[in-house]
Amino acid sequence: MEFPVFFWAALGWMMFWGVLGSIATRYVYLHKDLDTSSTRLLGSMMGAATGPIGLVPLWIKTPEITTRLIIFATLGTLGVFMTAFALADPGNLCVTNGSFVASQISNGVIIGIIYGFMALGLTLIFSILGVVSFAHGEFYMIGGMVTYFMTTVLFPEVTPIVGIAAACILTFMLGALFERLFLTPMYDGRVDRPVEYGILITFGLAFTLQYFVQATVGANPVKAKRFFDFPRLRLPSAEDPWLIKTSRGNMELFETISISNPRFTAAVMCILVFIALMYFLRHTWTGKALRAVSQDRQAAAIAGINPDRMNMLAFALGSMIAALAGAMLVQAFSWLPQVGAIPALRSFVIVVLGGLGSIPGAFLGGIIVGLVEAAGTGCIPDPQKAASYIPAYGMIVLTLTLLLRPTGLLGRKFASGTHGKF
Amino acid sequence: MKKALVSVAAVAVAIAFSGSAAIAAKCPIKIGGLAPLSAPGAVGGGEAMRDAMLFAERDINAAGGVLGCKVKVVIADTEGLPEKASAIMEKLITQDGVVAIGGGYHSSVGVAAKDVSNARGIPTVFAETWNDTITGDKQQYIFRIAPLSSWASATLWKAALRVPNVKKVAIVTENTDYGIPAAEETSKGLAKNGVKSVIFGVDIGTQDFSGIIQRVKAEKPDYIIVLNTGEAGYNFAQQAADAGIGPQGIPFQAGQVALESKAWWQNVPDGNYAFVQRIGTPVSTWNAKAKKLNEDYKAKTGKGAIESYALEAYDSISILAQAINEAKSTDGAKIVIALENISHDGTLGRIYFPYGSKKDPSVDGKGDEWWHQWPDPAMTMIQYQKEGELSTESVIIWPDKYKTGPAIYVKK
Repeated sequence: MEFPVFFWAALGWMMFWGVLGSIATRYVYLHKDLDTSSTRLLGSMMGAATGPIGLVPLWIKTPEITTRLIIFATLGTLGVFMTAFALADPGNLCVTNGSFVASQISNGVIIGIIYGFMALGLTLIFSILGVVSFAHGEFYMIGGMVTYFMTTVLFPEVTPIVGIAAACILTFMLGALFERLFLTPMYDGRVDRPVEYGILITFGLAFTLQYFVQATVGANPVKAKRFFDFPRLRLPSAEDPWLIKTSRGNMELFETISISNPRFTAAVMCILVFIALMYFLRHTWTGKALRAVSQDRQAAAIAGINPDRMNMLAFALGSMIAALAGAMLVQAFSWLPQVGAIPALRSFVIVVLGGLGSIPGAFLGGIIVGLVEAAGTGCIPDPQKAASYIPAYGMIVLTLTLLLRPTGLLGRKFASGTHGKF
Repeated sequence: MKKALVSVAAVAVAIAFSGSAAIAAKCPIKIGGLAPLSAPGAVGGGEAMRDAMLFAERDINAAGGVLGCKVKVVIADTEGLPEKASAIMEKLITQDGVVAIGGGYHSSVGVAAKDVSNARGIPTVFAETWNDTITGDKQQYIFRIAPLSSWASATLWKAALRVPNVKKVAIVTENTDYGIPAAEETSKGLAKNGVKSVIFGVDIGTQDFSGIIQRVKAEKPDYIIVLNTGEAGYNFAQQAADAGIGPQGIPFQAGQVALESKAWWQNVPDGNYAFVQRIGTPVSTWNAKAKKLNEDYKAKTGKGAIESYALEAYDSISILAQAINEAKSTDGAKIVIALENISHDGTLGRIYFPYGSKKDPSVDGKGDEWWHQWPDPAMTMIQYQKEGELSTESVIIWPDKYKTGPAIYVKK
């Protein structure tokens, strides 16, 4: 960094006014007997973005805090931060190289979609059962393993869809079976501490699945073949393919953005399944029943919905979603029994960031984590450290979000569970 | 009263014989064998080392064992993690009762493990841990038959200098006790010869390299050196290949995991033309012991050939067995003296340790890292030049002493 003092001074200024804005705005709104639920977030963002110029009018006028106002202040903060960074490090690739920035953004969005998709399953389980499944990473691993064995070892000629379908069916059944056998004590008062029981029993499942797979298939990394090759395209012409250029394993857009085939396939599949899942939850009776149970179990039961059956469905569906993410990524990453640990950890971060129990929040959280990781990896000046801190980037965003908005980005203040209110 | 007298007599007899382990060695004699058998360690490498150490156990016992006892190699999974290594060393020594320890793959594991074995007085011969400080701390009980990181790095930068028109090298390394020193040594060697380098550090278990690959690409390097162990080595290579800067897009030196040929071709189908550093002499110069082990290993594992680190693991156990026999004792200090005087005909060649308590490395103007260090491990650079070929059958492109064919440098 060319002018680190400038950058740190700017950051210090933003932090000072952010902290002051967070504390003082809440106090002002409280003093005027107004809703204070989002005052910390708005005050800190407004303070960081504009300092006293924006804060003083905010304190005087105390307008109603809308989503639009928060977004405006957040974008302002990001703008000021990026400007300070660009002025402090004018030679940085993220400042000088537009193609590089576009590539990093596309990478961040694509991996964010995949992260978000995996986190969907976790948030679905939490919103219905009120338990965080610590076996989520293992279902992800099993999804990949089943697909690998189906498409590469057992039936190499078969279409990858068969392998993916087999992974989904197997994990759905496994999830349903586990829920029936081990999670039902949470609902009927057979255990005194259902939350702790849920954590421990899913931890147990995680270890069992991981070491079962290690014992049966070994711990060597494996990988499925690419599901399909890109057709060879050169548009608008073979001589000057500025719009799109593809090889078997890669796609290049606008001679700028490079997307690998497995990641592209995985991201497209994740979006399609996400749309299907949203349709299922919003427009089918079963989906509506699931949502009803997530909002109020007792009321749902009175309306004729069997909450226990919804529990089973939610756990099976959530586990299947994790497995589907794994099934799509086994062609992109080397796969082994421990492969689920890092994605599972990231999913926990994402669901808390997006708001526990919120499905759109999980998707949004995934994309934010993906973008922040891409920005950190691409822009931190020291290349020896930039990628070493990847796991930390998401945690920083999570910590800041929880400080300013404890319910997460799109979370509800109260989420119901099988064992009462949180 | 009678009972008390019997007890006192029993204790007296026990004390009298406790100093004579050669007479009263507890059978079987146990030797620990360190190997990463779970992620994030290099599992493929660990399994190869485990198999080789068990072959060593078989061969030692077939030759009559040690001090009249059978030998039992107690395999311990380090997971490639230093914190696990310390715990597993304590377990091997205090619970399993091993009298010496061999094996070891990851440097970070070696760095953590050496302090435990030295504090407990258990002789340890590290097989594949490269970090200079492992022997550089001049600990009494620590020996090594793997090359030093600084020697291995010299192979890397010297091989890089042979790439036509090389001006800039990207080094992608795991941020561990193996990766960071190796990357820095390589970078220094390149700088001395007027070649720029950029080091990219990554976490040991990283799966998604897309961001860092874009950054490597933006540097427009003429050569890429990868110093990642475990599945991260495969992930980076294939993802780089997808982005056009893999082994077929740019001269590319893969990590050690590429020596696991079967896993390499499965995980990196676009991995042809990758260069790989290989420890140990070329197959054509193997001695009878190495050839026999190779045949046994192939028959057991179904692999095409034994890996270099498996040979090292085998020798690390065999040399300890010989040292215990020559020491006529399982006492740690006596085994150390035997190791300092040893001449062991292993699969890697004659193994000996010229520097130690008898002769300090400084006497010959050598650095501390030469302490209890075997000075002759062979290092070569090979290149995969046919899809699916075995690393042991690949072309050796450097050094000239072992060269079997010319390198193919892909055009960017």
